[in-house]
Amino acid sequence: MEFFERFAIPHPSPAIYASMVAIGLVTIAIIFGLTYFKKWGYLWREWLTTVDHKRLGIMYLISAILMLFRGGADAIMMRAQLAAPENKLLDAQHYNEIFTTHGVVMILFMAMPFIIGFMNFVVPLQIGARDVAFPRLNALSFWLFFAGAMLFNISFVIGGSPDAGWTSYFPLADNEFSQSVGTNYYMIAIQIAGLGTLMTGINFMTTILKMRAPGMTLMKMPMFTWSALIANVIIVFAFPVLTVALAMGTLDRLFGTHFFASTNGGMDMLWANLFWVWGHPEVYILILPAFGIYSEVISTFARRNLYGYKSMVASMVIISLLSFLVWVHHFFTMGQGALVNSIFSITTMAIAVPTGVKIFNWLFTLYKGKIEVTTPMLYSMLFIPLFTIGGVTGVMLGMSAADYQYHNTMFLVAHFHMVIIPGVVFAMLAALFYYWPKMFGFMLNEKLGKLGAWVIAIGTLLAFMPMFFSGLDGQARRMYTYSESSGFGIWNMISFVGALGLAIGFALIVYNIYYSFRYASRDIGSDPWDARTLEWATHTPVPEYNFATMPQIESVEPFWDDKKNGKKLFKDKIEKIHMPNNTGIPFIMGVLFFIWGFSFIFAMWIPLIIFTLAIFGCMAYQSFENDHGRYISVEEVEETENKLGGKR
Amino acid sequence: MKIDHSLPLEYSTEQSRLRILGFWIFLGAEIMLFATLFASYFILRNGTGDGPSGAEIFEITPVLIETLLLLTSSFTIGLAVHAMRLGNKKAMMAFFGITLVLGLAFLGVEIYEFAHYVHVGAGLQTSAFTAILLTTLGTHGAHVTFGLFWGLFILIQVKKSGLTPETTNKSFIFSLYWHFLDVVWIFIFSFVYLKGMM
Amino acid sequence: MMKELFPRKQVMGFVFSLVLTAVALLVYFMDMSFAVGMTILLVTAFIQAGLQLILFMHAGESEDKNAIYISIYYGMIIAIFTILGSLLTMVWTYQIQ
Repeated sequence: MEFFERFAIPHPSPAIYASMVAIGLVTIAIIFGLTYFKKWGYLWREWLTTVDHKRLGIMYLISAILMLFRGGADAIMMRAQLAAPENKLLDAQHYNEIFTTHGVVMILFMAMPFIIGFMNFVVPLQIGARDVAFPRLNALSFWLFFAGAMLFNISFVIGGSPDAGWTSYFPLADNEFSQSVGTNYYMIAIQIAGLGTLMTGINFMTTILKMRAPGMTLMKMPMFTWSALIANVIIVFAFPVLTVALAMGTLDRLFGTHFFASTNGGMDMLWANLFWVWGHPEVYILILPAFGIYSEVISTFARRNLYGYKSMVASMVIISLLSFLVWVHHFFTMGQGALVNSIFSITTMAIAVPTGVKIFNWLFTLYKGKIEVTTPMLYSMLFIPLFTIGGVTGVMLGMSAADYQYHNTMFLVAHFHMVIIPGVVFAMLAALFYYWPKMFGFMLNEKLGKLGAWVIAIGTLLAFMPMFFSGLDGQARRMYTYSESSGFGIWNMISFVGALGLAIGFALIVYNIYYSFRYASRDIGSDPWDARTLEWATHTPVPEYNFATMPQIESVEPFWDDKKNGKKLFKDKIEKIHMPNNTGIPFIMGVLFFIWGFSFIFAMWIPLIIFTLAIFGCMAYQSFENDHGRYISVEEVEETENKLGGKR
Repeated sequence: MKIDHSLPLEYSTEQSRLRILGFWIFLGAEIMLFATLFASYFILRNGTGDGPSGAEIFEITPVLIETLLLLTSSFTIGLAVHAMRLGNKKAMMAFFGITLVLGLAFLGVEIYEFAHYVHVGAGLQTSAFTAILLTTLGTHGAHVTFGLFWGLFILIQVKKSGLTPETTNKSFIFSLYWHFLDVVWIFIFSFVYLKGMM
Repeated sequence: MMKELFPRKQVMGFVFSLVLTAVALLVYFMDMSFAVGMTILLVTAFIQAGLQLILFMHAGESEDKNAIYISIYYGMIIAIFTILGSLLTMVWTYQIQ
């Protein structure tokens, strides 16, 4: 019995027991459904073993949307608890667990897969490639991410959730103050997902640098691909820092070291330092691809080329370097003195300059454009003013002297939500609407889409603007309640209403997907938006080889020139096409990593050793495997092309 | 698979060129991994608590032996790649094998070194300094250990199927990895040991 | 035969790396100030690293040499900034104060 006690929830409540039952029922329902409809074989052949970047992209997106609702449920609970002073909906411990999971899930398991999902789907199409450089590694990246995400998500029903904040600062995250296995979940689950992300970074850097269609020089790449390249450069150089920090945290918690302890020479703030050396570049990993999406959407629907292409590229390159030089602004109040704070204040404010350049470029693209307000465009146009609010409050926070007032208050919470939601989430929703027809062959309803956009935008403003005021008034973040006399009640009530608005907005998007799936026309051609870049030049649905023949690129907008200026994109004759084979190894390794991580979290050493060996066994197997892929014959390609409406 | 005969065998296919560039990018990530460990080491260097300091426990002899072993193995893996480009399978395998033996010897000395540290009371849990010292050295040592298995598998494949575009590509990438571990060791040698004993 | 297998360039490189190691060892065997010692270590370590990179790893031989050099230099620059910045924030600033 003692063995099983470790899996018990240290701080249970009826809601958690209800969740356990719900998880159990859903799992049974999925297994039953797959068996009843005889879909196991289909699932294995077409999805679990796939190495196709488009399918992996879609799986990333599905995971991201699931995690959006998980993190969203946490958000609603938090806002409901704070809606009234001295509310008793949640106790302090549950509140701690919920804001911790909300942060981790939203950043690492919602925003990251959302972005990587679109990178997977779009980048190879935009550069005219058949797949990424290492398709199997790409599948492994996904399954590692998924294993990490699932591991993190089961924490609240097995063993207890992490409760030290998404930043998991020591000494709070140490064994002494976080006694449940929750923080172990944090360390191990993020480690596994992070390894997957690092591989994605290497994979996409190689892909973009080496696999562009003939004629596509770096300065003829579409802006989303540029942003993906820069984001992946940052991933490659930032994620190893997280790997080391998490490993040190794991050693502290499970092997009794004193890296971040306050005794025996340890230094608790070293964790904060390392965390933010990774953490700040991470912010730009999220925002740059979002900027890329806006660039594509704005140029498409302003019906003109993107203004200031070169300055866009230059500003992203500068951001990529500066993003590594500002991390200390996350802990100005540590006490490192005026000199250090001044240095990092200056670098922080400097980073606003290239970002400002980009904002003006979008405005100049809109200027004299023939603007067509579609749903993706509406999100992009709502993004500019809302994001600017988040951006300028960021400059306020960047002033180290003033930061002593803002630090750890709701002002900060308001700032980063006003950056991340209009910046990243709006971009992902814009991309969802924009690329949906390419992915699934029908369009999402525009009327419902625009309604959703407005509801979400108003919800965002209602939910987060009041926090600026209550924060300046002194309301601390991460506090589970406050007194009536503080006067914060009204602000938090407004925030709660805004949070409900956001929930309604997201529900509208889900309804939109259902509605459009039922009623939308399937006859939309391959270029429903009259777009400008290469991903729209192939068929819908995209055949597995993407392009029957390699396009010849002469400009930044090759497809537009093909359509309007008669510059033929596809000139070659069809030849046989080399494609990689599917493989089950990445999925199996994902499962192994899941169990490995679970054993690690609960310090079960024997299974840990067994699964470590099994993982290395998989790698050895792959080293000896001789798989040269397969060829699609000319006849087969021609048949597919004819079925989809003729070769281009 | 298109083979370009104007290039060395390890670069001869599109996929092999992708692999080599991808591995270089991975090494870029490894630079940051070790840089983080170095940063932590320098910060925690004085965090000795009740435990010993670096100057008290470092011994020059094993460190020098380790350095010579690793430097020589880096030289021999370079010779292996050279022999590979000459198409001399026998010499390539010999140099490759010597590299792995030298690596194994390095690992042996490092294990002795660790045992010594624990023996003089500088274990993983002693202080922040000993923990970061053993973690930094251990991370490098784990890389070497991984490399030994990886190299052995490649050697078996070369023996089985000769110098093909695939095996030469794998061997070349392994050589990059091995040289990189030598570079990391040079920094450990200079800034952990020598600086610590200065 | 032996000459073919031991190219002059690589042998010289190996000898040079041994010489650099010996020079670095001076800081152990001789008495010198911290500044001089650190300078010797920094110079010898970075020359050694460059030697490996260019001579043994053939970093500049392929069509991708720009991408390779950029990613290595980028990594080294970020690494140096991270190390120096962390030291400044966590150690040096308290020594100055």
